[in-house]
Amino acid sequence: MLDMTVQSIITGLMMGVIYALITLGISIVFGVLNVVNFAHGDFVMFSMYLSYMIGTALVWDAVQTPLITIPVLFIFGFIVYYLIIDRTLRQMYVVQLAVTVGLQIFMRSMALIIWKAQPRALQYSIIQGNIQIGPYTILTSRLVAAIISLIFIAGIAWFLNKSWAGSAMRAASDDLDMASLVGVNYRRTYALTFAIGSALTAVAGGLLMSFQQTDPVGGIRFGFLSWCVLALAGLGSIPGLIISGMIVGVAETVTITFFDPRSRLLVIYGIFILVLWFKPRGLFGRK
Amino acid sequence: MLLKISNLNAGYGKVPVLHECTLEVNEHETVTVIGPNGAGKSTLLKTITGLVKAMSGQIVFQDEEIATLSTDQIIRKGIAFVPEGGRPFPNMTVLDNLRMGAFTKRENLKNGVIDELFALFPVLKKRSNQYARTLSGGERQMLAIARGLISRPKLLMLDEPSLGLAPKLVDEIYEKIRMLKESGLTVLLIEQNTSYALELADRGYVLENGHIIMTGACAELSSSDHIRKAYLGI
Ligand SMILES: Nc1ncnc2c1ncn2[C@@H]1O[C@H](COP(=O)(O)OP(=O)(O)OP(=O)(O)O)[C@@H](O)[C@H]1O
Ligand SMILES: [Mg+2]
Repeated sequence: MLDMTVQSIITGLMMGVIYALITLGISIVFGVLNVVNFAHGDFVMFSMYLSYMIGTALVWDAVQTPLITIPVLFIFGFIVYYLIIDRTLRQMYVVQLAVTVGLQIFMRSMALIIWKAQPRALQYSIIQGNIQIGPYTILTSRLVAAIISLIFIAGIAWFLNKSWAGSAMRAASDDLDMASLVGVNYRRTYALTFAIGSALTAVAGGLLMSFQQTDPVGGIRFGFLSWCVLALAGLGSIPGLIISGMIVGVAETVTITFFDPRSRLLVIYGIFILVLWFKPRGLFGRK
Repeated sequence: MLLKISNLNAGYGKVPVLHECTLEVNEHETVTVIGPNGAGKSTLLKTITGLVKAMSGQIVFQDEEIATLSTDQIIRKGIAFVPEGGRPFPNMTVLDNLRMGAFTKRENLKNGVIDELFALFPVLKKRSNQYARTLSGGERQMLAIARGLISRPKLLMLDEPSLGLAPKLVDEIYEKIRMLKESGLTVLLIEQNTSYALELADRGYVLENGHIIMTGACAELSSSDHIRKAYLGI
């Protein structure tokens, strides 16, 4: 019993870091553009399919596929920004909502058309086996995924704090007019932010494909997970984001281990609602 | 002439706030625009910087029409604008705020400009790693002015730098502005604190209900009956 608990916590912590990576994308977009991208989870689903295609075609390992999917999703993010998001910025909130929900439905339909309703998974993986620590098993593929996620999260944190483009993003998030008044081109900054948010789903998609399958409706789950982690974390704290991802990851694996795996979204929804009731700014948020 | 505004109409939505405003700022000159609450003073500066779009009229900076440019392009021409309250970026440190001020002139971070500004505003050096949201009103205003100066602008525009500050701090801020003026900087100063503004500036404009109703050297304005009664309360 205790062993099972510890085991599921270990697994949950590793999943949580990937959830934090997924959420980082939706979080910077929300923080900078003030737009909630309801299609974010479907970006993850789409990236997973792309990784599947590339992995199959080139006989690559899933964790290698982001080498191609990152630039693809980055460019895709730019295109989505200029074609859709840019035009809704001065509109009512409900227009932004409709547009990203529409994008979600569009991506899901495209996935259904291209890949049919079949779930897909990659066979080949160079990352095999597991690490045994006493009675506990750590799947190497998940550990690698968690470590790569952490590296990307740290990279984004560095970029936000140290680069000019990242500082422009922080400034635009703080006070958009004032950012323009120091010479920031806000549209370029917004487009870059959205493209980075999109590229992060490419990383997550590749990592997830190293141990999961993908299906066209799977995006809902990732979207939902990321809202929940974002609600927990609030805006502005990257350590807070990682801890929140871990909380959600652990809640999920504990539910799967001790209750019904089908109730895992329910538990996440429960956390989401509790946070909105008691801590509407999240546990770590400043806004 | 550095800045020339002619027959400017501007406002929010379809309703104009500024009507046929004409105004000039020469190089090395300090010009003030005074007027009551809601006259359109802030709107004037927002229109110059493109935050509010001009409906008609010209805004010429260094012989170049800027009314159609975007805000970041206008700033790159060499204008710095310190809005009401200063508005430093709250979740950035003092140092990061100053760095953002150099966004268009990154070489100035290495040219010792920051040290000059720390000499002018010693309190900023003490607070350099503190988040701007934790600063007092006076410190915020000084940070905002320093952030504007770090790009070495040709024109510094200040919107009510004395707003909400204790009298002693107002004196301090005005002392700094005077030093900047004496160093040759061109300043466009918006104020409700008429006596301070008229004492500091070379020339002034009086804006009421979106119309420029009077202009002249500050000494002349100070002695006009209208200004004395309506603004200086003498
Ligand atoms: N964002 C806005 N949208 C609509 N109307 C506005 C907006 N900002 C200002 N106004 C209106 O424009 C007019 C001029 O405002 P402005 O802020 O330029 O006045 P001001 O002279 O700066 O006043 P104050 O001394 O109080 O700062 C006012 O009637 C105000 O209500
Ligand atoms: Mg004003």
